[in-house]
Amino acid sequence: MSETCNLTLELKRLIIDTLELEDINPSDIDPNAPLFGEGLGLDSIDALELGLALQKQYGIKLDSEAEETRRHFASLASLQALVEARRDN
Amino acid sequence: MLRRRLDDTGRATCDILRELDPEAGLPLVHASRHGGTADTLAMLENLQGGHPVSPTRFSMSVHNAILGVHSISQSHHRPLQALGACGDEFDALLYESFGYLMEGYPAVIAAFSESPLPSAYQGCTEHPGTACVVGMRLTLNQGRQLTATKPTHCAYPTPITVMNWLNGDAPFLDGRSRWQLRQE
Repeated sequence: MSETCNLTLELKRLIIDTLELEDINPSDIDPNAPLFGEGLGLDSIDALELGLALQKQYGIKLDSEAEETRRHFASLASLQALVEARRDN
Repeated sequence: MLRRRLDDTGRATCDILRELDPEAGLPLVHASRHGGTADTLAMLENLQGGHPVSPTRFSMSVHNAILGVHSISQSHHRPLQALGACGDEFDALLYESFGYLMEGYPAVIAAFSESPLPSAYQGCTEHPGTACVVGMRLTLNQGRQLTATKPTHCAYPTPITVMNWLNGDAPFLDGRSRWQLRQE
């Protein structure tokens, strides 16, 4: 499995475990579907929780008010791009 | 989706509220003496350890969290009230419900729950010893009539003692008042 695929699965598991998404499997998460609102149906509290998990897991700090953060959280694919670019481990 | 944030007691409470008010059209009053102590304790432990507090735990640590989740998931737009009363929850539930009935609502749903008590708090407070929840639909003109008299001794009913009383295992329930159900 390539590093990219590994990270994709790792992030899916991070989302499922952190947000306690019962009845959701990694294969249910479409990398290009919206994470919030439609798609996975996450809300603003999930966004904060996910931000905290990214900080703990990859050392990535995000400004919750920044427009840029909104773009990073648009989909799993954009989240993955963020982690690849800014992870500290 | 929001249900995932509730513990078993919260889920059971929401199930009861939905069962007793399927049209989401009645005021809801929910009482719990201690609320979600597991969330509060976890946050305190995180703070003590210098770790960040979980936003989800913080959002669920307020006393009206269960009613909030229920109202969003059921699109409930009637009055909601969450209360804690240092052991007098049952009396408070009835008085608050009576107020809504006097305002003209045809019925009120009253739920009384306790979540599990974390081991760190065992022995520090009164607790029924297990997670429990009981719900009632109260009206002014249907069902068995409820009467209140002065009790010999005041007591602190828990959801368990309320259930036992409603099951007919006790002839009355002592709280601030002595509550009795008229025989059918």
